[in-house]
Amino acid sequence: MSHEMTAGTESADLSAELSAIERLHVAGLHAAGDAPADAVLSVRDLNVRFNTENGVVHAVRGIDFDLRAGKTLGIVGESGSGKSVTSMAIMGLLPPTAEITGSVRLQGKELLGLSDKAMCQYRGNDIAMVFQDPLSSLTPVYTVGNQIIEALTVHNPTMSKQAKEARAVELLGMVGIPSPKDRIKAFPHEFSGGMRQRVMIAIAIANNPRVLIADEPTTALDVTIQAQVLEVLHAAQEETGAAVVMITHDLGVVAGMADDIMVMYAGKPVETGSVDDIYYNPRMPYTMGLLGAVPRVDAAEKSSLVPIEGIPPNLIHPPTGCSFAPRCPLASDACLHGEPELRPVTGASLNGGLPHRAACLKTGSLGPDVDVREVFRAPAVPVSHFDAIPRAERRTVLELRDVRKHFPLMKGALIKRRIGTVKAVDGLSFDIREGECFSIVGESGCGKTTTLLEIMEFHKDQDGEVVIGGLSNKEASDAKTKSAMRKELQMVFQDPTGALDPRFTVFEVLSEPLENAGMAKPQIRKRIMELMELVGLQPDHVNRFPNQFSGGQRQRIGIARALAVNPKLVVLDEPVSALDVSVQAGVINLLDQLRAELGLSYLMVAHDLSVVRHVSNRVAVMYLGKIVEIGDVDSVFDNPRHPYTRALLSAIPVPDPVLERTRERIILQGDLPSPLEAPTGCNFATRCPVFVALPPAKQEKCLSLEPGLATVAETTGAGHPFPAAPIDQQFACFYPDGELDADMLVVHETN
Amino acid sequence: MTNLNTVDPAAVAGEAKIENSDVVITKSSIILRRFLRNKTAVVGLVIFLALTLFSFMGGLFTSWDKERIDPFNIGMPPSAEHLLGTSQAGIDLYALTVEGTRISILIGLVVGLVSVLIAAVYGCTMAYFGGKVDKVMLFILEALIMMPALLVVAVATSGGGNGLQKSLPSWLLLIIVLLVFSWMGTARLIRSLSMSLMTRDFVKAAQYMGIPPRRIVWRHLVPNIGSLLVLDITRGITGAILAEVAFSFIGIGIKVPDVSLGVLIGQATSQVSTFPWMFWVPLTVMFLLTGSLAMMNDGLRDAFDPSSSSVGRAKRSDPGKGKSGKTPTTAGKKTT
Amino acid sequence: MIRYLAKRALTYVFMIFLTTTAGYFLAVNTLQPALLEQERIPRPTPEQVANSFRLKGLDPDLSPWERYVGWLTAIVTRWDWGRSPNGAFINAEFGDRVWISTRLFLASIVLTLIIGVALGVYTAARQYRASDRVITSYSYLVYIVPAPIAYFLVQLGAININETVGERIFFVTGISTPGLDGGGWAQFVDMLAHYAVPTFAITIVGWGTYQIAQRQYLLDNVNADFVRTARAKGLTRNQAISRHALRVSFIPVAQSIAFTIPAIFAGGFFAEKIFAWHGVGSWSIDAIALQDVNAATATLAYGSVIFAIGAILADFATTLVDPRVRVQ
Repeated sequence: MSHEMTAGTESADLSAELSAIERLHVAGLHAAGDAPADAVLSVRDLNVRFNTENGVVHAVRGIDFDLRAGKTLGIVGESGSGKSVTSMAIMGLLPPTAEITGSVRLQGKELLGLSDKAMCQYRGNDIAMVFQDPLSSLTPVYTVGNQIIEALTVHNPTMSKQAKEARAVELLGMVGIPSPKDRIKAFPHEFSGGMRQRVMIAIAIANNPRVLIADEPTTALDVTIQAQVLEVLHAAQEETGAAVVMITHDLGVVAGMADDIMVMYAGKPVETGSVDDIYYNPRMPYTMGLLGAVPRVDAAEKSSLVPIEGIPPNLIHPPTGCSFAPRCPLASDACLHGEPELRPVTGASLNGGLPHRAACLKTGSLGPDVDVREVFRAPAVPVSHFDAIPRAERRTVLELRDVRKHFPLMKGALIKRRIGTVKAVDGLSFDIREGECFSIVGESGCGKTTTLLEIMEFHKDQDGEVVIGGLSNKEASDAKTKSAMRKELQMVFQDPTGALDPRFTVFEVLSEPLENAGMAKPQIRKRIMELMELVGLQPDHVNRFPNQFSGGQRQRIGIARALAVNPKLVVLDEPVSALDVSVQAGVINLLDQLRAELGLSYLMVAHDLSVVRHVSNRVAVMYLGKIVEIGDVDSVFDNPRHPYTRALLSAIPVPDPVLERTRERIILQGDLPSPLEAPTGCNFATRCPVFVALPPAKQEKCLSLEPGLATVAETTGAGHPFPAAPIDQQFACFYPDGELDADMLVVHETN
Repeated sequence: MTNLNTVDPAAVAGEAKIENSDVVITKSSIILRRFLRNKTAVVGLVIFLALTLFSFMGGLFTSWDKERIDPFNIGMPPSAEHLLGTSQAGIDLYALTVEGTRISILIGLVVGLVSVLIAAVYGCTMAYFGGKVDKVMLFILEALIMMPALLVVAVATSGGGNGLQKSLPSWLLLIIVLLVFSWMGTARLIRSLSMSLMTRDFVKAAQYMGIPPRRIVWRHLVPNIGSLLVLDITRGITGAILAEVAFSFIGIGIKVPDVSLGVLIGQATSQVSTFPWMFWVPLTVMFLLTGSLAMMNDGLRDAFDPSSSSVGRAKRSDPGKGKSGKTPTTAGKKTT
Repeated sequence: MIRYLAKRALTYVFMIFLTTTAGYFLAVNTLQPALLEQERIPRPTPEQVANSFRLKGLDPDLSPWERYVGWLTAIVTRWDWGRSPNGAFINAEFGDRVWISTRLFLASIVLTLIIGVALGVYTAARQYRASDRVITSYSYLVYIVPAPIAYFLVQLGAININETVGERIFFVTGISTPGLDGGGWAQFVDMLAHYAVPTFAITIVGWGTYQIAQRQYLLDNVNADFVRTARAKGLTRNQAISRHALRVSFIPVAQSIAFTIPAIFAGGFFAEKIFAWHGVGSWSIDAIALQDVNAATATLAYGSVIFAIGAILADFATTLVDPRVRVQ
C-alpha cells in the first residue's frame, strides 16, 4: 500500500533552529492567556482522571491545542486512547466524579470549573456536538422537530413558535432531508441511521455554534451514507463558519476534511501537525504504524499490512517510559526511562496551524524515506500454490445457482394477508474456486448477510441450488450429508465477543467441533495445541476464558474454531469490522497467511471495501438482492462499470490528503430503498447518477427492462479502449461508464 | 471503547490460579466463594437451614403433639409446660408451629422447584420453536395470568365436592393449584432470555458446526440461563410460602385439621389482643423464613453475576411488542 | 392508535370468554351444592334437592356441557348470570357490590401507580442517599409480607390510633355508617372515613413494586445517549433527565401495569375480607364456601374484566408515551 508517502514536506532538516518563542509555543508551555487571538477554542494541559474500582484511571494526560474559526482539527486514535473523553471534557459532559484539570477557553472564556447550569449557556449555543451512534442519540418518544426546536428554545427564549418551527424546517432542509415540512413531525424510529445523524447535525448547528465537535459521526453508517453525512458536515461548517473538531479512528475520514491532526495514544497526544505533515511525514512509530495498518482501496499492488503487536497500556499505572515502547519495534532502553514530551519536529514548517510535533526520542531518524513495513517487520506477502494455477483449472468449492430468498410481508389483525414480498436475495449465482477469496460487498440491507445465511442453512426446500464441495442441497440434505457439508464449510463471525460462549474456556470452545466430529480425547488435545499455534496464540492460554483476551485475540480464537475440522471453505462475516485498526492488520495478515498455507477458500462479506480489496481475489457488488457487478477484484475496483459500483468506490475516503482534496465523489441521494416489490426495470434507477443524466428515451429502457449480467467483452463494443482479451468482470447495466449527473458529483476545493 | 482495554487486572491476577487447576471446579468454587463472602446471604442460609431442621426435628423436644389436647391448659400463655403456650383448643403451640413450619417449607420447596422446572421447559419450548407454537403458548400463558388465582384456589379447596378433595390432603391440593398459577412470570422471562440467547453468535456457531440441538440447549442455553433459574427458585419458594399464608389466612387454602403457618396466623387474628402469642409466634417464624430466603436471594444474585447486568438486560429485552420481559411485580408476591 | 387499542380489546374479550368458560367447567365439576343441602335440618330428600335445583337452573343431573350451554345462552340472550343454590339471583347480588369493589380497586390502582412512580423518580434522583435507602428497603421488605397480614397490621394500627385518640377517626370495618342521615357532605365524609383505611392498606403494600421498577428503569436511562444529546443542546442535567429520561423510563413501567392488576385484585379481595366490606370479593368467597357455581363463575368473569381493563389501561398508557407502538 502507501508507498506514495510523497514528499509533501521537505525532508527533515535536522539543523533548523526555531526561535525561542516558537519553541515555547509548540511545546505548549505558554500560559493559558496567550492563545492566538484568532483561536475560538484553546485547550491547555487538559487532564482527566476517573475513579474506578481498580484505581484511578488517568484517561487524558495533557492535551494542548488551538482551534481557529473555520478550521478542522482531526483527533485520531484507537479505542481507549482518550479522544472521546477529551471531547466530553470540553463539553462539560463528563460525570461529576471525573477530575478535570487544565484549561479550556472558548473565545477567551474559561469553561472548566463552570457549574452545569453556567455551562448550559455555552453548550448547544457556542459549542455543539454530534455523537457517534445516531440510533440511540435521539430521544425515541419525541418528534425530530420537537428535538430541534428544543435546542432553539433553550438559547432563544424570546423566539416565537412560528419562527422556531420555520427555523427547524430550514435546518432539516439544510442537512438534506427531503420534504422537511412533513418530516418534522416524524419520530426518530421512522428515520434511517443516516437520516438520524442528519437530524443530530441539524440540532448541533441550530444556534450557529462557533465550535462543532463530531465524535465518530459516521462510524455506525454505510460508506455511501457516510459520504452523504460527511458532505452535510462540510456544508454545515461552510454555512456556520464553525471550527470543527473531528474525532475518528478512521484515517481516511479526516484526510480530506481536516487541516490539522492530533494523534492520540494512551491518553496523550503523540504527534500533532498539519494534515500533510502527519500523512506524508510521520515522525512517531505509532502514527507510522497506524498509516501502514490501513489497507488502501486504491492500491492494486499487494503488500502485507503493518501489524502493531500488543495492546495499549493500562492507564491505572502511570507509565514510566514511553507508553508505546512495549509495542514499538524501535524501542531502546532510553525509551523506557521517562515519557518523551511532544517536541517540535526539526525542519517542520510553521504554517499557522498546529506545529508538527512528535513525542518520540527517535523522531530525528524517522521521516518520509523510512519504510514502515521494514520498521514493523511486516511479514512477506504469502503466496498460495493455487495462485499459479489458472482459475478455470481449480476445483469448485462452492457454487450457488439462482438462489432466492423471498420473505412474504404480512399484514392484518386476525386474518393475515400478504401485502408484498421482500426480495432479500433474488437470483444469485456465483462460484468459488479452491484457494481464492471471494467477497460480497454492498450497503446494509442489500442481502449479503441473507446470502450467507442461505448458504449456512443448506436445506432441500431452499429456492435455488447450493453446492458445497460437490454436495448439493437438492440431492440429499439428510443429517449425514449435512454433517459432511459442515466439515467442508465453517464460519467466522463479526463480533468476536458474541461468538464465544462466555462460560467456555478456549479449550472447550475449540474442542466442541472436534468432539462433535468424533475425535478421540488425546487427538483433540494435540489438535487444539496445533490450532493455537496456527493462529498465533500461546498454547498455554487454553484454560483462559474469552473475556481474558483482547478483541483481536478473541477473533483469532474464532478463526481457530472455524479451522478445527479442516474445512475447505471459510465464511467470513465482517471478520475485522469490530476490531481496532492496528489489531485489524494482524488479523488480516493472519487470514492471508492461512489461505496460502492451508489452501483455504474464503467467502467474505464486508462493508469495508479497502479490506475487501486487500484480501480478495474476486468480488461481487450486491444491490437489493442482486449482483450488479462481479469479477476480478482489480478489474472491478480499478475500472468499475456499473454506476452503483462507481458510487460505492468513490464514497470511500482514502488516507491521502492530496488525493482526497481533489478526488471527485459521487454522492448518492437518499437511502437504500425498501426491497419491497422492486420495480420492473433496473433496481438502481431510483438512485442512479447515470440515469438522471440520460435522455428520456434511454431512461425508458432502464425503467422497463431489467439489465442482466453481461461480460465486459460483449458490451464494450465500439468506442471503449479495452483489450479484447476476456476480462473477469460482469455487470448489469445498459449504460456503463455513462455520463454522471452533475448534481451528484462533488469535488472539494483545495483549501 | 471496545476490546483493547477490557483486559482488567483482576482477570490477569486470577490467571495464574486458573492455569494450574481444573477450570470447571474453579468456576463453581468462585460462585461458592462469592456467596460465602456475602455475610447477609450466609446468615440467611443459616436461618433457613435452622428452620428446616427445626421443622423436622423440633417435635423431638416436646412430649406434646399437634393433635393432643391439654384440657387443663386452654389458651394459656407460654409456660414451662408449653414453651410457646397453647391454642384455644388446648393444643401445644410449639408442636403446632413445628408442624406448620414443615408444611409451609414443603409447599415452598415443591412449588418453588417444580414451577421453575415447568417454566424452564415451557419458556424454552416457546423460544426454541417460535412462530405459531410460540403464539399459541403465549396466549395460553397470558390467559392463565388473567385467571384470578385466588378464586380458583377458593373453588378448588372449598372442600364440598367430589373425590379430588376427599382423597387429597388440603396442602397437596394447594400445592397443585399454586403450581398451576406460579410459573407464568418465570416462563415469560426465560422465553425472552432464551430468545436473545438463540440469536447470539455462539449459538449460531454451534449450529453451523453441526452440534445437535439437544447438545446446544444443554451446553449453551442452560448454563447461560442457569443463574436466573437458581434465583427464580428462591424467589418461587418465597412466593409460594407467602401465597400459602395469604390464602390460609382468609380461610381458603389449607383447611383445619391440616396445620400451616397461615392457618395458625389466621386463627389467631380474631383475638390478637387477648392471646397475642398465638399471633406473633407463627408470624415471626414466617418472617424468619421469607426474610432468610430474601437474604439468600440477594447473595446468590451477587455470586452469579457481580455486575447483575445479564439479568437486568433480559428484563428489558423484546421491546415494542406489547408487554416485555418479566414485570418485576409478582416476583415475591404470588398472590395473583 | 384507536385501531390498535380496539384490536387489543378484541383479544381481551376473547380471553375473558376463555377464562370464564374454563372457570365454569372447573366450578361445575368441583362444587357440589347438593351435599350441603343434605346438611340442612330437616334433611331434604334427594328428590326435593334435585327439584329445587332444577327450578334454579342448577340441575345436577345434566352433564356439565348441557349446563354450560344453558348458562351461556341465558347470559348471551338475557344477560342472566343464573341463580345461587339458595335461590338468590346473581345479577341482583352483584349489582351494588360491583361498584363498591370497583371503586376500591380503581382508587387503589391509581394511587399505587402514582405514589409508586413518584417515589421511584424521587429515589432515583437521590440514589444511595438516606431517603433512597429507606424507601427502597421498605419496598423490598414489602416483598416478604403477605398482603392480608399487612392489611391486618394496618387495621391493628388504625384501631390503636382510634384508641389513643379516644375518638373514632377511622372506620376499620364496613363500608358506610348504617342509618346515617345528613346531607351529601356528611355522606361523603363518612365514605372517605370508611375508604381511607382499606385504600391506604392496599396502596402501601402495592407501590413497592412500582417504586423499585421505576427507580431501576430511570437509573438505566440517566446516562443514555439521548440524555447526553439533550445536555449537549444546553439543558441542565436535571432538565435533560426530567424531559427525556423520565418519559422513556416510564414505558416499561406502563407495560407492567397489566401484570400488577391481578395482585391488586387479589389484594382487594383480601382487604374486603379483613375490613368486612360487602363487596364482590368477600361475597364470592362466602358464596364459594356455599358451593355456588354461578357466583364463582361470575366473580371469575369479573376478575378477568378487571384484568382486561388494567391491560387496556397499560396499552393505552404505553401508546401514549411510546410513539413506536402507535405505528404498528
